[in-house]
Amino acid sequence: MASRKESMSTPTAPMASTSSGATLDSPVKQIQIEGLVVLKMIKHYQEEGQGTEVVQGVLLGLVVEDRLEITNCFPFPQHTEDDADFDEVQYQMEMMRSLRHVNIDHLHVGWYQSTYYGSFVSRALLDSQFSYQHAIEESVVLIYDPIKTAQGSLSLKAYRLTPKLMEICKEKDFSAEGLKKAMIGFEHMFEEVPIVIKNSHLINVLMWELEEKSTVADKHELLNLSSSNHLEKSLQLLMDRVDDMSQDIVKYNTYSRNLSKQQQQKHQYTQRRQQENAQRQTRGEPPLPEEDISKMFKPPQPPPRMDTLLIAGQINNYCQNVKEFTSQNLGKLFLAEALQGHNS
Amino acid sequence: MSRFFATGSDSESEESSSADEITPKAPGTTFTKQSLLLSDDEEDTKRVVRSAKDKRFEELTNLIKTIRNAMKIRDMSKCLEEFEQLCRAFLKSKTIVDKEGVPPFYIRILADLEDYLNQLWEDKEGKKKMNKNNAKALSTLRQKIRKYNRDYETEIASYKENPMASADEEEEKDEVESGSSSDSDDEPADAKSFLKKKSATEAPPPNASKFLKGAADEESSSSDGDNEDWDSDTSESDSGSEDETGRSTSMAVNFLKKTSSEGDRHTSEKKKEERKKRHKRKERIEEEAEEEAQEEGEGEWEKVKGGVPLVKEKLKMFAKGTEINTTVVVKKLNEILQARGKKGTDRAAQIELLHALANISNENNLGEGILVKIKFNIIASLYDYNPNLAAFMKADMWKKCLDCIDELLDILFNNDKIFIGENIAEDSENLASDSQEYRVRGCILTLVERMDEEFTKIMQNTDPHSQEYVDNLKDEGRVCGIIDRLMAYLEMETKGSTEEVCRVYLRRIMHTYYKFDYKAHRRALGLQGETKSEQDAEESEGEDSAFIMDRLCKYIYAKDRTDRIRTCAILCHIYHHALHSRWYQARDLMLMSHLQDNIQHADPPVQILYNRTMVQLGICAFRQGMIKDAHNALLDIQSSGRAKELLGQGLLMRNMQERNAEQEKIEKRRQVPFHMHINLELLECVYLVSAMLLEIPYMAAHEFDARRRMISKQFHHQLRVGERQPLLGPPESMREHVVAASKAMKMGDWRTCHSFIINEKMNSKVWDLFPETQCVREMLVRKIQEESLRTYLFTYSSVYDSISMETLKEMFELELPTVHSIISKMIINEELMASLDQPTQTVVMHRTEPTSLQNMALQLAEKLGGLVENNERVFDLKQGVYGGYFNRDQKGGYQQKQGGYNRDQRGSYQQKQGGYNRDGQRGGYQQKQGGYNRDGGGYQRQGGYNRDGGGYQQRQGGYNRDGNRGGGGGYQGQNRGGYQGGGGYQGGGGYQGGGGGGYRGGYKGGYQNQDRRDY
Repeated sequence: MASRKESMSTPTAPMASTSSGATLDSPVKQIQIEGLVVLKMIKHYQEEGQGTEVVQGVLLGLVVEDRLEITNCFPFPQHTEDDADFDEVQYQMEMMRSLRHVNIDHLHVGWYQSTYYGSFVSRALLDSQFSYQHAIEESVVLIYDPIKTAQGSLSLKAYRLTPKLMEICKEKDFSAEGLKKAMIGFEHMFEEVPIVIKNSHLINVLMWELEEKSTVADKHELLNLSSSNHLEKSLQLLMDRVDDMSQDIVKYNTYSRNLSKQQQQKHQYTQRRQQENAQRQTRGEPPLPEEDISKMFKPPQPPPRMDTLLIAGQINNYCQNVKEFTSQNLGKLFLAEALQGHNS
Repeated sequence: MSRFFATGSDSESEESSSADEITPKAPGTTFTKQSLLLSDDEEDTKRVVRSAKDKRFEELTNLIKTIRNAMKIRDMSKCLEEFEQLCRAFLKSKTIVDKEGVPPFYIRILADLEDYLNQLWEDKEGKKKMNKNNAKALSTLRQKIRKYNRDYETEIASYKENPMASADEEEEKDEVESGSSSDSDDEPADAKSFLKKKSATEAPPPNASKFLKGAADEESSSSDGDNEDWDSDTSESDSGSEDETGRSTSMAVNFLKKTSSEGDRHTSEKKKEERKKRHKRKERIEEEAEEEAQEEGEGEWEKVKGGVPLVKEKLKMFAKGTEINTTVVVKKLNEILQARGKKGTDRAAQIELLHALANISNENNLGEGILVKIKFNIIASLYDYNPNLAAFMKADMWKKCLDCIDELLDILFNNDKIFIGENIAEDSENLASDSQEYRVRGCILTLVERMDEEFTKIMQNTDPHSQEYVDNLKDEGRVCGIIDRLMAYLEMETKGSTEEVCRVYLRRIMHTYYKFDYKAHRRALGLQGETKSEQDAEESEGEDSAFIMDRLCKYIYAKDRTDRIRTCAILCHIYHHALHSRWYQARDLMLMSHLQDNIQHADPPVQILYNRTMVQLGICAFRQGMIKDAHNALLDIQSSGRAKELLGQGLLMRNMQERNAEQEKIEKRRQVPFHMHINLELLECVYLVSAMLLEIPYMAAHEFDARRRMISKQFHHQLRVGERQPLLGPPESMREHVVAASKAMKMGDWRTCHSFIINEKMNSKVWDLFPETQCVREMLVRKIQEESLRTYLFTYSSVYDSISMETLKEMFELELPTVHSIISKMIINEELMASLDQPTQTVVMHRTEPTSLQNMALQLAEKLGGLVENNERVFDLKQGVYGGYFNRDQKGGYQQKQGGYNRDQRGSYQQKQGGYNRDGQRGGYQQKQGGYNRDGGGYQRQGGYNRDGGGYQQRQGGYNRDGNRGGGGGYQGQNRGGYQGGGGYQGGGGYQGGGGGGYRGGYKGGYQNQDRRDY
């Protein structure tokens, strides 16, 4: 409710998106969303998503200069085990065709997804966003956080993969060297695009009118002081990620140890061979043929680093969330203290 | 013994194939037997030897007849059943059919059946009236016959064109019979006339046969045997075994006797004559002739009534005029025994012969020796009667066996000159002379053991919920009696070796250990028997079973040399103790015997016994209120989820890949008879309740512990199952009750918990099964109160500043001292951070337990520490050899952190932190540390600090130098030599060691204080 109010009352204000100027040469520098789309997404989540379940949908719109305008959306149907043969692509095409018939923008410009405590940085998201961005360059993914929204501020963020990441994904080279060469860290995986929610003037007028009449009770989720529940959940998730990270590191560790061990063996082998050859030469015998060392010592399979990167990105995300939340809460607590002092 | 078993197994292997054939046909046989008795038996009596064709066709006609009957009464399910059998039988007689062509009666039934079914099918009204089973059977049958008849289309068509219109069913039947059987023409007529006569004069055949049985019971044991035998034979006669002829004559005998006893002598004589004629016509083997003679003798005997019937028999067995003496009898005996185990031998006849022989020897006063010998053989043949070791004895055979053993024991008791033993050679036997001791080869103990095994087998194979089971169980008294007598016999000097005594003792123990001694129990409670007679019975009972067990077991412990008997005895002893709530004795015996260590090497039956014992021990512990012991004892059995199988109380459903038919048979043989079962629901309930009493407080205490272990997986599983229920109704099953109780206990709500655990339903399901129900319930209530109190304190201690013990006492309805002791115990164990305020009787909470959020943060910090450490390792590897250096340092440093962190978790977190910080402000190194602390969550910082690597080292060095200069001796002393070594920066290793161990020690100790003073 509050979220809707916000979107109504501040129709043109850009959201609190702290996107930097990281949008180097990407074709989209700003995203403009219809209020309708936001409402549809929220409605979709409220109807179908609960708990950790995630809802997804398709965004429709068009590109105007360096601005992506999202004017409509529709949800993906919920998947069940039974209809495995359900063709999603077919459904989307069908949907878009039908929308075109009623004269709605039918150009595919991305997709949206809800999230649970900001846990959206995952391989699945990366893969699908990659395929979107690969097919339609301007595609974005909108992340809608229902929990934050319930706390009083609409949380909607648009992300795109950075060109660097796109390169890597294209080459499918997720080894440590590849990532190093591409100079990519978890900070540079996604770029956030600023969002503007915009309604037509007619709607704005209607809103103003309605606000006069509506008797919606003010809800003060924004001022809720209890914090531990949210923090606990975040910490729990954070911990899980850290565990994953630890495991990954251990894996990498074993790998590099194995590698160095093998290097040593290789070295020893070549040295021995050289010595032997030297001896043979002194005896006047023909030297032993140089064998293919790489065949004898198969290098261990390097673990893919992409997952680690994603986990790191996710951890970063959680940390941001916690930080943001705590700073807000601290402010609220001071506020409350002052109020207490004032009252007593 | 060896002889007996050897032959037994021989015959088994020989006969097993045929026996196996018989078994699957079991349902079919019952019916055929019935039909034989009902209508066909008259014809049967006249039929002697028939070709295979006749046999098959007769089978078919029988089946057809029943189908027709079923059709008449519209019993569709019966029809279907019979039709399937008919098809099978027809398939069996395929070879004959191929030769002879499809018999017309077969086609006729097919056609008729189809017509009939179609007619029924059309009859919608009738179909509606039919019950569900019948309707279902109808549709199935209709489909079946349609399919089946496709193969015989032409024949059926031709039949339909030209049905034998006038033939009514009875005549049809006769025609068929006369057409197919090779009997002479006048026979059917004869049969018919006889049938009429009989039905006019007598009760219908089934009654007659019943009467026959009744009559048989009245007869002496030796002759009643054969009657019963023949009865049982008939049930098998349709199996198509080769001694069909003998069987059919036996049928004749039955009727012979019956008719003679009815006084219808005329018919019987006439028939007998006929039969004799036929016998002459057909040459029979000698044995059958003998048998025949016997039958005749019996027939005679019936007529004479009361006279000694053996004249004729003797004639047959021994040539007329032969002097009956021991040698002749022994020779005859051997002759009979030679036939044993051979394929063609009629085992029933053999038993008969032996009985006859026994009577003869009795008749001629040949002395006890020979009688004992014959008795031995009779019993052996009785056991032999079943070709398959897996099959169990028929009830009547079993009874006879019991009688025989009883008689044998009588003889042995009356005559102490008889010496028996299994190691007496055949030729050194002394059966004749009265002056010397009789020496007879044979082992009574083996026979009794076998008898006991047979008893178990009978019990295993009887439906435990039938009256039959109860009847069979009544025999247990007799079995016990026999074992007791044998015990008395073997206990006599020179009669039994210690080994044998041990064996018989074990048998006795096996019959005692699982029985609860109610009398002793009541006596222990100081109650008198309610009525006079009961009291008398009590007195006559004599010893408590406990004393008996004690005596027998101790004898075995002392004398037994085979490990197995001792193991079994110990287990039974423990079981018995446990059953009677002598927990400490049972436990001590279990622990002292060290059975737990090597039981897995024992054979399965012993393992089953062991499992039973452990379970009983667990239940005993529970009754005594030793929850933890109960849980431990039951854990192994319950956690596997195969309690049923492990206790030998039933097979688990498994697919055939895991277990073939052979294994299944073996497993079935291991099953414990029903009356010895331990109630599985009780077992599970006891386990779950103990798990609840342990687990719920534990869960409450370790709510935030990441490394929490579950005590009982099964219990958790039940909880999860309970949680997964979409709709939570009031509990129904025992498990649901326990889960509901657990939930209540989690909240510290002992009243609800109590009402869930102890209520009408649970009482009837579980608690009433204990002998001391009231005590157990009281114990349970108390335990629930105590554990709820603990749970409550764990869960809600963070809410209280202080709580009065008086309140707690009222809340949990416990006495003040108990509350006091529970809380004190919790405080001592550092489970509860609180102290007791004596004057006000309150518990003051210290509030040192971190909140869940803090806990979480601490866990996160710990995890991050691990992460950082792992990360450093990666860095180390990059650095190569040099890296190893850091590695060690890193570890030390991390441990250090751990130590501090751990301590922090316990006591005064802030205080220490604070003090530490203040200290930190001083030296260079401390500054660093302080920085870390000031940073708060600063493990990351710590990471950065480590990554500094060399720089840090240098700083360390610098600090050390600083410390040396500024800090003065006291400080160094406090930090132990390691630091000074560290001053020599090049000798890095030494410093590292200091960092890890020594430094930490100093840090833990009065480091801060010392410092403060110094500076």
